[in-house]
Amino acid sequence: MPAEPVPFKVADLSLAEFGRNEIRLAQHEMPGLMALREEFGGSRPLANARITGSLHMTIQTAVLIETLVALGAQVRWASCNIFSTQDHAAAAVVVGPDGTPDDRRGVPVFAWKGETLEEYWWCTEQALTWPDELGPNMLLDDGGDATLLVHKGAEVEDAGLVPDSSDDEPEEWRVVLGVLRASLATDPLKWTKVAGQILGVTEETTTGVHRLYEMAKEGTLRFPAINVNDSVTKSKFDNKYGTRHSLVDGINRATDTLIGGKIAVICGYGDVGKGCAEALRGQRARVIITEIDPICALQAAMDGYQVSRLEDVIEEADIFVTATGNLRIITAEHMSRMKHQAIVGNIGHFDNEIDITGLGRLPGIRRNTIKPQVDEWIFPDGHAIIVLSEGRLLNLGNATGHPSFVMSSSFTNQVLAQIELFTRTDQYPLGVHVLPKQLDERVARLHLDALGVRLTELSKEQATYIGVPVEGPYKPDHYRY
Amino acid sequence: MSSETGSGRDGGFGSYIADPGLAEGGLARIAWAERAMPVLGLLREECASKQPFAGRSIAACLHITAETAILAGVLTAGGGRVHLAASNPLSTQDDIAAALASQPGVFVNAKTGVDRETYYAHLHRALDGAPDLVVDDGGDLVNTLHADRPELLPAVVGGCESTSTGVARLRQMAAAGTLAFPVVAADVSVTRRMFDNGHGTSQSVIDGLLRATNILLAGKTVVVAGYGSSGSAIADRAAGFGAQVIVTEIDPVRALDAIMRGHRVLPMAEAAPVGDVFITATGSRDVITGEHLAAMRDGAVLANAGHFDVEIDVRALGDLAVRVNRGIRPYADEYVLAGGSRLILLADGRVVNLIAAEGNPAAVMDLSFAAQVLALMWLISGEAGLPADLHPMPAAIDTEVARLTLAAHGTRIDELTAAQREYLASWRQGS
Repeated sequence: MPAEPVPFKVADLSLAEFGRNEIRLAQHEMPGLMALREEFGGSRPLANARITGSLHMTIQTAVLIETLVALGAQVRWASCNIFSTQDHAAAAVVVGPDGTPDDRRGVPVFAWKGETLEEYWWCTEQALTWPDELGPNMLLDDGGDATLLVHKGAEVEDAGLVPDSSDDEPEEWRVVLGVLRASLATDPLKWTKVAGQILGVTEETTTGVHRLYEMAKEGTLRFPAINVNDSVTKSKFDNKYGTRHSLVDGINRATDTLIGGKIAVICGYGDVGKGCAEALRGQRARVIITEIDPICALQAAMDGYQVSRLEDVIEEADIFVTATGNLRIITAEHMSRMKHQAIVGNIGHFDNEIDITGLGRLPGIRRNTIKPQVDEWIFPDGHAIIVLSEGRLLNLGNATGHPSFVMSSSFTNQVLAQIELFTRTDQYPLGVHVLPKQLDERVARLHLDALGVRLTELSKEQATYIGVPVEGPYKPDHYRY
Repeated sequence: MSSETGSGRDGGFGSYIADPGLAEGGLARIAWAERAMPVLGLLREECASKQPFAGRSIAACLHITAETAILAGVLTAGGGRVHLAASNPLSTQDDIAAALASQPGVFVNAKTGVDRETYYAHLHRALDGAPDLVVDDGGDLVNTLHADRPELLPAVVGGCESTSTGVARLRQMAAAGTLAFPVVAADVSVTRRMFDNGHGTSQSVIDGLLRATNILLAGKTVVVAGYGSSGSAIADRAAGFGAQVIVTEIDPVRALDAIMRGHRVLPMAEAAPVGDVFITATGSRDVITGEHLAAMRDGAVLANAGHFDVEIDVRALGDLAVRVNRGIRPYADEYVLAGGSRLILLADGRVVNLIAAEGNPAAVMDLSFAAQVLALMWLISGEAGLPADLHPMPAAIDTEVARLTLAAHGTRIDELTAAQREYLASWRQGS
C-alpha cells in the first residue's frame, strides 16, 4: 500500500463506482487475463517491475492494469489517444478495487477523454516520470508514443539542443519538441537516465511496431522490444475481429445512419481492412476496397469486393473508412468532392490518414459540431460531409473500441510479453522480437473454455506423422493462419 | 432415330421417343431421384388408395426429367392416364423418356433436339388424349389447346401452370376472356417461390454455369439481370462464391431490395462493359441486346436462367460474330466478334440450369410437383368450383405441402395452444 496518496489526473473520480461495475463485467469476458491472475498471482513474476503504460485508458485496459498489479508490478498509466479514455475506467483504476475516491489505493493514471495535444504529451510525460530517481524499467506501449518520447528525449540530450520546429511539420511534433525543450532546461539527462533503466518495451500495435523496426534498422533503438502486434492471437483477433465489431458500433453511435444499401469505401485491406469490410458487408453495404499492395488487392477481389482507386469512387460512396497505417490517404481535395453528408472516418492508429488540417484550411469551409466527435464540415457551395472523431480512431472515439473478449486475447499476449522480457531479459538482445509460438498458442488455449470449444488432441502417432510435438507448437513460424 | 412404340396399345396411343433401349438407364435414374422426393412418395400412397384420377386423361407439357417421371408415376398411381410432351426440346433426357414410355398409362412425345415443327406436333399428340386436366410449363400446351384444338376445351376441368412465364401468358388470355377453364398458377405459391425459384433454380443455374465453363467465380463480376425470386437467389449465391454482383432491374422495388442487400445496381448498358458473367433471370425479352454484346469484355460468359431463349438476343450475337466456334466445351459456344473479343454463350441462350446441368434438384421439384398434384386433385374433385380464370395456388395447399415436407424430413414443429389461438384472434380484433 503506497504511503503517499495515488497521484493522478483524470476527469472525475466520482465515476469510479460505475467504472468498477463495468470492470467486473469485463473481467468475465477476459478469461485469458483472469487465468493469468490465477496462475501467477502467487509467484508474482512481475514483482519489482515498474511498468509505464501508454495505451487507451478503457475498461479493458483497466483489467490489464490490475492483472499486471496482481502479478506484482508497479504501474503508471497514460492513454495513447486524446479521445479514447473512458473516464469511468480511469477513475476506477485510480481508486482501485479496495479504495474510495477519498482513499485512493489504485494506480496513477493521467488520462481523460478530450485532451488537448499539450495535455496529451503532458500525460505521457507524467506516466514516464516516477516519484523517485527510479524511472520505469518496462514500457507497455501502443503506437509507440512513450517509446518515442524516451528515444527523442535521449537523442535531444545527446545533441544538447532541441531542433526548431517549422510550420510545415504537424502541430503535434511542435508540442513534443516543446515538452523536450522544457525537460532539457530542468534536467538535461532526464530521458537518458530513463532510457538506461528500461529493460524493454512490449508494443501493441502495427504503427508502433513499424516505428520500432525503423529504429532497429537505423541503430537508434535503445532497448529490446517485443512485437506483440504480430502474435497471431493479437493481430488476427484484435485487428480483424475487434474492428469487425467496433467499426459499425462507432458509425452507428455517431450517426445512426442505415448502413444497408450504402456504398462504403475501405482504404486498406490488411487485417483491419478485412474486418471492416466484412462488418460493412454484413450490414449489406456495398463495399469498395482501395489498396496499394497487389496481394491484398487480389485478396479483396477474390473475396468479392470491388477494388478501385479512391479518385474514381470518391463521388459515389456514402461512407469512407481509412485502415491503412499510412498518411494522407483522404485529402482535403477528396473530401471536397464527396457526396453531401458522406461519412468520413479513420480506424488506423494515427490521425494522419485523413487530412483534417488541410480540410480546415480550405477557403470558406465551416465546421459545425453536431455532438462530440461528430463534426459536419460545410463547404462554400453548401454541401457538407460528416467527419468522425476528427480523423482519429473512430471505433474508440465514437464507440468503446474493441470488445473485452478480443482485448483479452490481445492483452494476454501483452502480459506474457512483459513476463518474458522482465524475467528472461538475457534471452532478448537489443532488437525487435515476436513472442514464441508456444505462448501464442497458449493465449488461444486460455480462451477456448469460455466459448465452449472442445479441442481435439493429437494422438502420438498423428503428431509424429506431421512432425510436431503433441503439446505444440503446431505450425511453422512462417504459417499465416 | 425416332421410335413409335405400342401403336394400337391403350386405345391407339403411342410414344414418340429417341430410343426405347435407353429405358433401363432411365429407370435407374428415376429410382435415384425418387429418394430425394419423399413428398411425392407420400402423395403416391394417398393417390393409390383414393384413385382421384381414375379414368381421367392428363395432358402434361413438362421438362422430361427424372423428377417429371416421378410426378407421372403419382398421377398414374391415382388412376390417371398421362400424355406427356416436352416443354423444351433441349432439356429432354432421352433415357428418361424411354423409361417413361415403358410404364403403363404413360405416353411420351419427346426427343432431345427436335425442331420447332416437331415440338408442336408433340404438343398436339399429347392433346390427342382428350385431356380432363392439363399441366403446363411455359404455357405452350394451353395456348395450343385454345388456338388449335377448341373442340377439346369443353371436356377440360382445369389445369395448372408452373412457370412465371406461362402464368404471364395465361393472365393475358384470362384478361382477354379467352381462357376456357380454371388454371391454378403454381408459380406464385409460397413453397414454389421459396424452394423452386429461391433454393432450386439458383443452385442449378450456378451448377450449369460451372459445368459448362469451369470458371472460378471468386473475384469475377457477375451481372444478374432481374432480381425476382430466382435472380435474387442467384445473386446471393454468386456473392457467396466471392463474386462481385451487379444487378440490373426495371422494377424500383426490386432494385431497392438488391441495393439494401449490398449488391450494385446498374443499367445493363453500364454493366455490359464490366461484367465477366451475365445471367438473365427476368422472364422478359431482349434483356441483353446487340448493343450490350458489342460492349462486353473479351471472355464474357452469357447464360440465361429464364424460361425462354429470348432474354439474350442470340440472333444479334450471331450477326456481330465474325466466327463462331461451336462446342468449345459441351453447351458452350464461342462467338468471336469483329474487334477480336470472344463471348461465350451457354446452352444457345436457353435455360441454362436445365441444359448444362440437371435442372432443379429433385428435392425442390418434389415440393413444386406435390403442390401441383394437390391442385389437380382439388380441381378434379369438383370441390374447387372455380370459374374459368387464372387462380392463385390456395394457401391450404401450400400449408399441406409444407406439412408433408416436414413430415418427410422428420422435422417437428410447435402447435399453437388454445390460449395462443385466442390471444392472436383477440389481437386481430383490436382488443
